[in-house]
Amino acid sequence: MDLSTGMETDGPDLVCQLDNVQGMVDALSAVRWKRHQDAVVELSEHGVVLIVEESHCLQAKVYLQRDLFVRYEFGAQRRPRFGVSLGLFVDCLNTFSAPGRSPMIEMRYPGPDMQLLLKSVDSLDSCIFAEIRTRIPDVVSWDYNFEPAGSTPLSFTVKSAALKEAIDDLEWPGSSIQITLQPVPPSVTFRGEGHGDLQIDFMYYVNTDLLVAFHCDRQVSYRYKYKFLSATTSNLPSNVIKDNRGSKLTIGMGGMLKVQHLVSVAKPSVPHPHIDSAGYQQPSRIAYIEFFVKPDEDEET
Amino acid sequence: MKFKALLTDNGIIQLEKRFIPALDKMGKFCHIYLTPDHFFILHNLLSPSSPQSIAQFSALSLFDDYRISSQFDNVIAFSIDLFLLLRALRSSSSICITNPNPNPNRLQIKLVKKLPPNSTNPLPFLTFESKGYKSAVIQDIPISKPLSRSSLVELQDALNAANEIPKTLVQVPDLGQLQNYVDRLKNVGELLDVTIGKFGDLYLQVSTSLITVGAEFRRLTVLGERASRGVGEDRDLSAQTRARRAIERGEAESVEVSLKHFGKSLQYHLAKPDCTFYGVGMNGGCLTVIFQFFVPGSRQTDKSISLHCRLPVLDPGAS
Repeated sequence: MDLSTGMETDGPDLVCQLDNVQGMVDALSAVRWKRHQDAVVELSEHGVVLIVEESHCLQAKVYLQRDLFVRYEFGAQRRPRFGVSLGLFVDCLNTFSAPGRSPMIEMRYPGPDMQLLLKSVDSLDSCIFAEIRTRIPDVVSWDYNFEPAGSTPLSFTVKSAALKEAIDDLEWPGSSIQITLQPVPPSVTFRGEGHGDLQIDFMYYVNTDLLVAFHCDRQVSYRYKYKFLSATTSNLPSNVIKDNRGSKLTIGMGGMLKVQHLVSVAKPSVPHPHIDSAGYQQPSRIAYIEFFVKPDEDEET
Repeated sequence: MKFKALLTDNGIIQLEKRFIPALDKMGKFCHIYLTPDHFFILHNLLSPSSPQSIAQFSALSLFDDYRISSQFDNVIAFSIDLFLLLRALRSSSSICITNPNPNPNRLQIKLVKKLPPNSTNPLPFLTFESKGYKSAVIQDIPISKPLSRSSLVELQDALNAANEIPKTLVQVPDLGQLQNYVDRLKNVGELLDVTIGKFGDLYLQVSTSLITVGAEFRRLTVLGERASRGVGEDRDLSAQTRARRAIERGEAESVEVSLKHFGKSLQYHLAKPDCTFYGVGMNGGCLTVIFQFFVPGSRQTDKSISLHCRLPVLDPGAS
């Protein structure tokens, strides 16, 4: 340990290997809503977290727990954080995968110049390698301190495919979107009023295929800018739809909206040992995606 | 000057199905250079800053009754649009296929001068004449004026210079896989660093200020000057470090070429070569790609076909 700089001088902070690049690309692509996005990556003994943010109104996190990796050796004393271009990182990962092949890749941080190093490790005689420059990240200025709205939660779980479709349809009115939860009858309403009105209702009990869970003890209603709401579903990978997953939405204090998705990162050739109607998979093969959306204006009724 | 020849069935298949679709990827316009023994399709020999391609066929392998005469040692050269040539070949060959007549030589090519519509000046054409069962099709492909003596000399000199073979050649593994990979590199940058090592190593790398992406291939077959590496030495180093050390020790040469040009040379997999070799040309002036074809059913080189490219080097690297 170099006391003057506080930096580890022996060994990298992280060496990990993953066997499904496409899965990682799917998980990271879920939080791409713009061409150029700077991400902050945090490494810990639990796994890798990638955070992107826009104008203090929208934040997304991708959690890749250490179980997703075939090998995960964390050697730092603290939690290293670095900034990297999200688009560049995903495009770079894409150069590793080839149709019909899924190589084992190794990621290492930091390189001699604080780069993120990647290389394919499944062949002795050939390899693909990459080095991505990183930067010192800005301090995250908006504290997305998500707190529950009250003693009972305000949340619902809806089929991800249905959520995406509803949000896609709501582009038409061209206005901010109002989300209303009400206990009687138990339902969630999405409404847009702009060039015409559009209202989409999810009724609990009527259609438990779509609205899988629902908790609400009082009526609440908040508006969210369309572009931020649509960012939460616009790039969901197709396996989320195929695996019939659900997304959980929670309204916290002040109307802060939390949207949670599950993205499978298993290799496609691995047979699923347990399949039920919700597409259950071993938890270690799932990446967790979280979005936080600030409300447009407070409106409680 | 006169040129007349009958394309054999083999000649039609080789040109229509294999070579011209591949050569078309290098560029629309090329020179056709005819000598008493050979038929050449040449790209950019007179423009050294463009990727050059030399395809040489023995006249006997493609034609019957090959007749050529000119006042310049019986050689003729002109430029032509390859796409028009391919189209003419395709439609002529489809006529021939429907002909139940067992005579194998039904497609005649010749150089003519004709009066095009709405013009009083006769212009040169390469004419394809195919005789079907009930019909004949004549297609005239416009060509440039045949090259003058001085231009012919320039072309021949360029051809001789282009036939120089690099000292060390490494055999590329899977051309299709390489093309797949290089296609994805196009998202990253435009300049490709190619390092060829005498141990049989090939390194490809694209760099920008934010990212470097590359591929390393080791233990490839080497032709020409080679070196042997100690066992286990440098296995734990990164690919870039290995490449850099090999260059410093004089065991490898590195050049920078345009990724687009490199991609064009990879399209030659359409010609279905049996082996492909890379080497750095004399003085690091170009990256040479040589395609080898075997006599079908054997591993002997088919000497009637020769195909290679020379990619201009943008910035001579360390060598």
